[in-house]
Order: sequence, then C-alpha cells, then structure tokens
Amino acid sequence: MTSPSSSPSSTPILELADLSRVYQSGSSRRTVLKDVNYSFEGGRMYSVIGPSGSGKTTLLSLASGLDSPTRGSVRFRSEDVAEMGLGRYRNRHVATVFQSLNLLTYMTAVQNITSAMEITGVKGVHKKQRAVELLGLLGVDEADQHRKTLELSGGQQQRVAIARALACEVDILFADEPTGSLDQDTADGIIEVFRKLAHDDGKCVILVTHSREVADASDEVVRLKRGKLMTI
Amino acid sequence: MNMNLFKRAWWRLRGHLGKTVMLVGLFFVICTLVLSGFLIQSAAARAADSAKNSVGVVATMQLDLNALINAGKMDKPKGQQGGMIGAEGDLHRSLVDKICKSSVVAQCNYTKDGVAAPTDQVKLHQPVPAPAGQDSGGVDFFKADGIRDLNSVKDFRNGDSKLVSGSGIKPDSASDMVVIEERVARDNHLKVGDKIKLNANIQNPDGRLSTKETDFTVGGIYKSGTADPGSYIPPMSAPSNQIYVTPDGATRLDGKKVGADGGVLKEATFTLRNPNDLDRLKKDAKAAGADLKIFPLSVNDKQYKTLVGPINKTADFASLTVWLVAVAGTVILALVIASNMRERRKELGILLSLGEKKPKLLGQHLVEVVVCAVLAIGFAAAGSQFLSQAIGDQLLSGQVSSANDAAADEGNKPDPSDPTGGANKQDAPDVEPIDSMDVRLGAGDIAKVGATGLGIAALATIVPGIRILRLNPRDILTKGE
Repeated sequence: MTSPSSSPSSTPILELADLSRVYQSGSSRRTVLKDVNYSFEGGRMYSVIGPSGSGKTTLLSLASGLDSPTRGSVRFRSEDVAEMGLGRYRNRHVATVFQSLNLLTYMTAVQNITSAMEITGVKGVHKKQRAVELLGLLGVDEADQHRKTLELSGGQQQRVAIARALACEVDILFADEPTGSLDQDTADGIIEVFRKLAHDDGKCVILVTHSREVADASDEVVRLKRGKLMTI
Repeated sequence: MNMNLFKRAWWRLRGHLGKTVMLVGLFFVICTLVLSGFLIQSAAARAADSAKNSVGVVATMQLDLNALINAGKMDKPKGQQGGMIGAEGDLHRSLVDKICKSSVVAQCNYTKDGVAAPTDQVKLHQPVPAPAGQDSGGVDFFKADGIRDLNSVKDFRNGDSKLVSGSGIKPDSASDMVVIEERVARDNHLKVGDKIKLNANIQNPDGRLSTKETDFTVGGIYKSGTADPGSYIPPMSAPSNQIYVTPDGATRLDGKKVGADGGVLKEATFTLRNPNDLDRLKKDAKAAGADLKIFPLSVNDKQYKTLVGPINKTADFASLTVWLVAVAGTVILALVIASNMRERRKELGILLSLGEKKPKLLGQHLVEVVVCAVLAIGFAAAGSQFLSQAIGDQLLSGQVSSANDAAADEGNKPDPSDPTGGANKQDAPDVEPIDSMDVRLGAGDIAKVGATGLGIAALATIVPGIRILRLNPRDILTKGE
C-alpha cells in the first residue's frame, strides 16, 4: 500500500516495504504488523491512529530504527536502513519523542538538548543558545531550562523532549502521543511547531496519536488496524 | 573528538553524588590496601638490600666430622679406645691464611679454642665460691680463645663486650698478647703492658696432664656486658674468665710449639664482598690446598636471615594482601557496576535511541569509574604512608616476636661440628631482626597503584559492560508501555 497523496513525481523520504513484525515468546507467536507498505514524504505531517494494541508503537519503533522487522524493510531515501546501520540511521536522520519522554534525569533541560545535539553531530550552531531558543519557543521558562528534568512537571518534561527532537535537525521526526501531557493551548502551540517544521522546513513529521485535534491538523492520517496500515 | 561522553560522565557523577562518593570510597579502600602492600614490599626490599650490605655474607670453614669418618681419615682405634680425629681433621692456620688472601674475601677471621690454668700471679675471678664439698669438675681454667681479630668476635661485634683500655688483638699483634676482662684485671691488679704468666696444659705421652708457665703481655682490658652470676658457676663458664690470645698464644697454651703451619684452628670465617662470590672462594680454597669435603665452606646467611626474616614474611603477607584485595576488589566493583548498569538501562536506551555508539556508552562508564579511581588513588596516596607504616609495624612486631622465639630455640640446638655436642655458638655476631619499617611513598609506588587501580577499573567496567553491547533500545524504551 502506498500513500494515496503521493504524487508520482514526489520522492518518498521513508518507505515501509512488506514490513512484518512477529513476536515469539516460547511456542506462542504474535503477529503485530503484517506486510505493511507505505511511503512518507518530506514536507508533510502524518498522524498514525489506531486502537490500543494495534501496533502503533511497534510501527514507530521499526520506522525510527529502534527495532528490526521480522520481514520486509524500512528504506530511507531508497536505502535500506538495515544496510545503513540502525545506529547511524537514528543518529543522522531521525528523532523520536517517546510517550514516556525518556529524558536523562541527571541532566538539566538544556544539557539534555545540547547532549543530543552533540551525539547527532549538529554543526554550525551555538548548541546551548539553540537549546535555550527552542525551550523558550515551547514555553519552558529560563529557570526551568536549567533545572534537572526530574524536577520539572510532566508538561515541562514533554516540552523538553520535543525541543530535544527538534534540536537534532533531522529529516524525519517521530512522536508518540506528543501532546498527551499538555494543556490545550500548549498542545495547539506544539502542533503548530510540528506543522511549521513540516511545511516550512520540509521535514517529515510522523505522529502516533489518539488525539482528534492532532489528527485533524495533520496533512495525512493513516489508521493501523489488524496489522495493516490504511489511509483514511 | 566528540567530548560528549566526558561531559555526560561528569554530569552524571555530579548528578548522582551519593553513588559517586560510594564508588570513590570503595576504590579508596581497595587502593589504600593495595598501595600499603606495595609500600611494605618496597620497604622490605630496601631493608633486605641494606641488611645484605651491613652484614655481608659469611662463609664458614670447619671440620665436618661425618665427612672425616666417611672418608676413613680418622686415626685408627688403639686398643679399646675409640678412634681419634687425628691430623687429617686439623684445620691449619697456614691454609686459612692463604684462603684469606683471596680477592673475594672482605674480612677474615678464625678461632682456636683453648684454656689457660691460673697462676699465683693471675687468679680466676670467682664472685661466688664453690659450695663446701663441691668439686669444680676440673674446669678451674680461663677460657682462652685464640683469635685473629678481636673486633670480629661475636661479643665485640654486637657490642656486648667493649675494650676499656689498651688495644684489641689484630692479625699483626704480638704473639704473646692477651686481652683480659676488667674484673680479672682488678682482682689481680693488672694493667695494660704488664707481663703475666699463665699455665699451659700439657698432655704428656703417658696421658698425664701437667702445666707449664707461659709468658704473656696484657695488651688490652675489656668489659663484658654480662654481670657476675648470683650463684656459683664453674669458673670457666664465668664471662669474666674469658680471655683472648693470638692463635700462636693459643697454640702455646696447648703446650705446643708454634710451627710453620701456624697451629690448628677450630673454624675460619670469610666475609665475602659479594654473596655471589662463594664459588670463586671455593675455587681459591681448593687452589690453596683445602679438602672441601672434610672442611666444607658453607654460607652462613643466618645473620642476614635473622635480620630480614620477619620483614620478608611481612612483605610476603603484604604481597598476598595485594593480590587478594585486587581480585576481591575487581569482583566487588564489577558487581557494583553491573548493578549500576541494570539501574541505568533506560539511560543507555535513551542514548542509543539518539544514535550514540555502544563503545561510547562503555567509554562513558569507564570515564566515570576512572575518575572515581583517580580520586581514590589521590586520597590513598595521601593516607597510605601513615597507614602502611602503622600496619607494617604492627605486622612486623608480630613476626619479630615469632622470630626471636625461634632464634631462642635454635640457640639451644647442639653444634653439629662439635664432637662433644656443645651448644651452637658460631663466631658470627648476634643480630636483632629489623623491627621497624622505613615506609617511603615514591612516584614508582603511586604509578604501580595507579596502574593496578586503573586496571581494576577497566576490568570491573568492561566485563559487565559487555551487556551494553547486547542492548536493544526498543526493548528498553518501550518496556511497560
């Protein structure tokens, strides 16, 4: 299956080709994804929706290079990411905002971001300044920017996690329930940031969400059901 | 070079100060014990070198009675009498004098046992008279040792006896020189330069004993460190009745004439310049005509062993401690670090999800542990000198005490060269075991403990760190979701 919105001339940045993921535990096998085919383009924002247990997180793990498929492939700009190396793919081309945020608790908000920028090799910017700008843009005040992330509220931590993903200047940004812990105003602001990232900066933004608002704001909504991905 | 792992390590060490302090503390204990072990080993090695230089190595030449019997060189039995040692068992002074000239000999001495009977002019010092009716047992004599050099005699070398006037016997002293104890001098109103007569004991051909007055000159008066006993002892056993004569004098006291061979000695000792020169000395002794089967040259390293025995045992214990602590420390640290890694799975997953390389994650761990190790090594270096001095002295005092007990037992064993089975009294000065440690902290010791500490840090990090290489970020980050 390919994205119906893909025009024949546009080049997909990310392709899922015959992607399957089966979990085996002892003698029991559980197929979470089966022969998923889809293409994502740069400059667009996607929402992946589906009921709990439908395999959204597994799809995100495979597409972001955190896990390997049982069968099929994930291709970035036509190159199989398994051949590229999952570590390199994660390092150079994708950033992920996890549902559980996954911040480093012994670092401040700014340090979390500058550290990620150093790991992903962001060059040409003053890292600390960039981190402060992004945190400010997402509504984290100056005092909180220099606090350990463990001392921040859930909403503030979510902002830091998003700022960290934005700071890495990657081609594809994944986010798992990125507005889950945020109030409506902040959530709206963040959705706007994602949209701008897609439309102004040409990034591919793929959001896994249950939120109708997020889905409505997306350029394309895909539904995951019984291991298959379908465009709505 | 991407310095991010160093920054992260620093941030984590600061962020988890309690754990950092605990790790530094653990390393401190390990490094302090290891460094103390090294310092005790170094102090022992220095002491051993110093002891070797101070006492040298003494080779002793004396009759091996068993070898003489086995060689069939005893005199044939006469009638019902047993065999006699005979001329083949005589260690002649002329032979020893030749060996003394060997280039490897730093100092040479020999002794000849003898006795001198008192005269009207020179009486024995007897502070407690024999109880009424008790026979002296035929030992109303001066014990007259013929020696080459008074300064090499055990009691003088160890300071128990000291010259109070005149001079001691030297290789070039006049043959009639005698050195007497001050109590004998006082009792007999003698002073240095006085001519005296002592009775030589003469064994007549018919077996009877007779005496012959022999002339001597008092060349020196010494003071023995041993006080008069509070009860009667045979005069010859009293320390005040020990006199020293030249080897020629001792020969004359045997009632013999001093011949070209210089008389017969009990034993000779050769202090070597270098402990490795024994083979050369044996070669020179053979060349001089010595039968080394009957008069073997044995290295007397008893003094050296006495000096360094306890400190070496302490060093051995320290060495064992170093190994035990190093191994136990590595295991304990590896367990602590493995436990830390389990706690840090999520952190590792986050960093992996950002594309951090696994070796760099291991590197971050290593940097953290190494920083703790370096701090601990610094603290250990500051405290170890004091600690190892205290530990070393404590351990050493125990070893010295055991060594002294052992030495006391050893002293009561019979002398194997003495056919009468007398007590062991070799002509080697008594030495006290080294009972204090000179602990010095040097750059070499710090380098050694540094290498050990960092080695422990590396092993304790890398072994459990192999788990990192098997981590899958997806399993870590999505677990429980």
